[in-house]
Amino acid sequence: MPSWQEFQPFIVTGLALGGVYALSGVGLVVLYQATGVVYLAFGAVGATGALLAWSLISVHVASWLAWIVCLAFSGALTLAYGMVFGPLLARRTPLVKATATLGLLLILYGAMDLLWTTSGGEVRSLTLPSDSHSFSIAGIQITYTQLIGLAIGVVITIATAAFLRFTKLGTAMRAMANDRDITATLGVPVRRVEAAAWLGCGVLAGVAGLLLADMVALDATTLTFLVISSLAAALIARLRSITLTFLAALLVGLVQNLMVPIPSLTNYNDMAPFVLAALALLALSRRRVIALSREEV
Amino acid sequence: MYGLMSRTRVIVAVVVATGIATLAGYGTAAASTSTGSATAKTSACGTKPGVKATGSPIRLGTIVTNQSGTSFTDISNMADAYFTCVNDNGGINGHPIHYYIETEQSNPAQIAADARQLVQTDHVVGVVGNTSIIECSVDSSYWKSHGYYVIASGIAPECYGTPNYADVNMGPRYSSDGAVQYAIAKGIKKIVFDQSNVPGTGYIAAGPNALAAKAHVSIVQLTEDVPIADADSVAIKEVDDAGPDGAVILNFTPPDALVILQAAQSLGIVDHVKMWGCSTPCNTDFLSQSLGKAWNSKLFVNAELTPPDSTSTATMKLYKAIYQQYGTTGPNKVSGGIGAFSEMGFTEAEIAVHALEGIKGAYTVKSVNAAFKGVKNFETGMMCQKWTYGSYPTHIANNEDYTVTPDNGKMVTAQGCTKISAVDPQIASYRKHAGTASLDPTSS
Amino acid sequence: MVNVAGRTAGPRQPGSLLRRPGRPTVIRVAVVVVLLLFTVVALPQLIGLYYVDYLTQVAVYAMVALGLGVLVGRVGLMSLGQVAVLSVGAWSAARLLFGTSQPFPLVLVEAGLITMVLGTVLLLPALRMRGLYLALITLMLASAVYIVLLTLNFPNGGAGFSGYNGNQIHIPPIRRPSIANSDPAYFRYAVLVAVVMFALVAIHIRTRPGRAWAAIRQSEPAALAAGINTTLYKLWAVALASFVTGVAGGVLAGAVHYLYSDDFPAYTSITLLAVVLMGGAYSLWGAIVAALLMQLLPALLNNWGVSNDWLTILFGIGVVFTLTTAPRGIADQFPKDMARLGGLLLRQVRRRRPVPASASPSASASASASPSASGSVSPSASASSASSAARAAPTAASAGEGEAP
Repeated sequence: MPSWQEFQPFIVTGLALGGVYALSGVGLVVLYQATGVVYLAFGAVGATGALLAWSLISVHVASWLAWIVCLAFSGALTLAYGMVFGPLLARRTPLVKATATLGLLLILYGAMDLLWTTSGGEVRSLTLPSDSHSFSIAGIQITYTQLIGLAIGVVITIATAAFLRFTKLGTAMRAMANDRDITATLGVPVRRVEAAAWLGCGVLAGVAGLLLADMVALDATTLTFLVISSLAAALIARLRSITLTFLAALLVGLVQNLMVPIPSLTNYNDMAPFVLAALALLALSRRRVIALSREEV
Repeated sequence: MYGLMSRTRVIVAVVVATGIATLAGYGTAAASTSTGSATAKTSACGTKPGVKATGSPIRLGTIVTNQSGTSFTDISNMADAYFTCVNDNGGINGHPIHYYIETEQSNPAQIAADARQLVQTDHVVGVVGNTSIIECSVDSSYWKSHGYYVIASGIAPECYGTPNYADVNMGPRYSSDGAVQYAIAKGIKKIVFDQSNVPGTGYIAAGPNALAAKAHVSIVQLTEDVPIADADSVAIKEVDDAGPDGAVILNFTPPDALVILQAAQSLGIVDHVKMWGCSTPCNTDFLSQSLGKAWNSKLFVNAELTPPDSTSTATMKLYKAIYQQYGTTGPNKVSGGIGAFSEMGFTEAEIAVHALEGIKGAYTVKSVNAAFKGVKNFETGMMCQKWTYGSYPTHIANNEDYTVTPDNGKMVTAQGCTKISAVDPQIASYRKHAGTASLDPTSS
Repeated sequence: MVNVAGRTAGPRQPGSLLRRPGRPTVIRVAVVVVLLLFTVVALPQLIGLYYVDYLTQVAVYAMVALGLGVLVGRVGLMSLGQVAVLSVGAWSAARLLFGTSQPFPLVLVEAGLITMVLGTVLLLPALRMRGLYLALITLMLASAVYIVLLTLNFPNGGAGFSGYNGNQIHIPPIRRPSIANSDPAYFRYAVLVAVVMFALVAIHIRTRPGRAWAAIRQSEPAALAAGINTTLYKLWAVALASFVTGVAGGVLAGAVHYLYSDDFPAYTSITLLAVVLMGGAYSLWGAIVAALLMQLLPALLNNWGVSNDWLTILFGIGVVFTLTTAPRGIADQFPKDMARLGGLLLRQVRRRRPVPASASPSASASASASPSASGSVSPSASASSASSAARAAPTAASAGEGEAP
């Protein structure tokens, strides 16, 4: 068993990794709360946006402009998807809605590999100005990017919770996620509210894409399927509580990294998100049958 | 009616998505920059400059990995560019080369099928340029039973340990040997050797283990699941294990190596070890550009083929000229430009053409493969030694290497040609059969 | 083809209640038998080894898709972990084939049983969950299995429990049955195993479990009220699907000779689900269509020099299309579209040369073959497993995914 001294840096990196999971985990839950869709293409959309930004920066477009393009692209694509398929699938189960986003995931995944090939050993990276500022904890350096990642997680958690609770649009979103038809009969402009939710989450996917491209890797496969690990945190929170998702993400990141210095567990540390999610869900389901509000299957 | 409406919507969505994709395509197309300038004529690749070959074609084939994240098509595409150049300049005694490229996605069933397709349907007489994560394991007995002697870039153990493959590169094990022996020569006290968790890690690790044991340097072996999503913890683990007098040696594909190195940089632990090392995949300008100058003379990368940036031999000029004329457009574009991958494709094609030119009579499976196997002490102009196929139970035809280090966006030579130590028992056993044929240092 | 048109409408005719196969059933059986004979006997002679190898994969993945079809189409369990189940089957078979000299068919059955036990035990607690949660938890479990597999590695003739030796330079191939060592012979062998598995599933669908599954999918509370042990029958479906997938893993091990953990990443299950949804989870033909999409299409595209990425994009579009416009898949939608087209053409012909409707054999045939809308629980008299299975599924509106009308 390694000493406490050896564990220390992994607590710090574990929290940073938790921040990574929180970014997409919180994004997933926000959209689910607002539209009833588990947006599995979250990672793929962000990755495409980040690669687009990389392309622009490499032809000497100003960085800030490239980032805006990334956010605009992710927002527009998500909005387009939501506007086309939201109404089409409105009456289907959450499962069908989630599965349809897998379609978008596959389309973007294929397109990314076509457009940003790796056949010549190409590697890409995206650095943000916040990388060059740092401070030290437990003998290792923390960059401002990692701090921003965590902070954005916190901000989004608080802001979304407040938004859903205290604003008119937020209340409408919650109502709509609960029952679209009744909300519509109450005179809420369903399409417009939904559009706002999709756009917001798209932009969030773009933000996550940029930050994760910097913190994890600017690589289509990694970023696209990182969503599976992040989903673990969202599942622990049962896709309901944004705060819980955030905390679960930190926990998952911590556990995963604290396994690293233990030789017998180090090769299995990547399993942490999945095992934790499975255990949490099973523990919860011992008490009652888990079913989502509108899922009567 | 509802169905019709929804279909229209879906079609609209697809059209919009395609539009966006096309826009993105412009971005990437514009992003690719031209590398170097053509200072030599491509006509040097053939025997009759400017005369198109019109005879019956000589069919060659290859199998390369092309999957998301791992793709080696630059190697086959560069070989294709070379063959096209040959065809435009007289061909092989008037015969053009027809090159069949099969791509695979690391699926053994598919790889076996591809080999049968090349032999049975395409009737290829020779196999040149194979580069795949598992192709050698899957197909080696097939090639053997059908009398093919493959000229390849190897990865799997069988690419080096069987009579029917000879490679222009050293592959993960011997390239890692090179990186480890460079570190040992620099006087480090401890080595952490970290590699991606793929089949055959034990085989790869055996080389560095032998070298470290001989030098009485302790070595820690690690493996990581790829793609790496959590590079911070990987970097800390490596640095902790290596200590201030140690070296971390990586054996990963370029994207995974890059995230580990960048994590070490952002964590501020680059200097917590004496040096960093890397097997060949890190030898790409892309990596150097992404890393920045913190790694100049800190990271040392084993390089199997002559560094193109600091060399201007006739061969290197021809390689760059062929890339410019034949490799920059069309469906078989060499996307990574001048670099280790396309160098391998060039060298393989060069060896194949050299062998084919020596054939008198018909180009059959028998004659072509006899010619391949007969290549002896051929000076490719791309490596530290002369290249020999020969009838040996194992083939490590390239076993002398360079070491390069990043330097402001390029990879520059840190150490010239050095023999991979025969402390690795595989190298020793190969040299016993084949000997060594180093180039005269003055000639290059 | 045309007789499918009237499937969803019209009361059941007395003739079909008597257990006597009607003419269209005979024709259907004959078509299946002829297709099968052609596939097994003639096809390997007509095509190159390249396609023989790929079609062997089609046979393997038809079984995998069949298993997933049982889960999705019969009891409404959308699994995103079937590729992990396949890897467990392949691993067990490879271990047994290296470690013992048991005959190949026995190894297949054992691999199926091991997979069945593991799959059922893993999913047993998860069965209390439904829909989306279950789908996502299977994705979690599959991801975990993949990471274990990466560290454990596939057997390659080494010693110990794992049977893996990382130092090996010459990896021995996984053996095949002695009667099916060549590629064409092994293709025939794989097809025959697949036929047995299809028959096994067809029997289930047409007997008590099939009726119970249909009831569960329609409404679980109603099934409970009717005295159906829903947990037992759900577990039964999981066990059957795992068994079939495990056997498929065994066939895969022999087909490819070499197995690598990298070939079974968790996200391949997404592609698998995509093709199963496209092919159609509610019919046995759908499994074959799915396997053709997943394994033969790449072979064709590779030959035409089209990048594999386009296939990924195509599958993505396929999923979206299927879910929005043809929820029951190509195998269901295509004949309907053809029937509609046929009907359209027929009407054009009739308009010119009127024919009494009763004289049209296809019209009466379709009427006799169509079940009543609520009769999906009752046993079907038809002997043809595939299309009766398609019919046994409820109509799209009330399908297992639970759309509101």
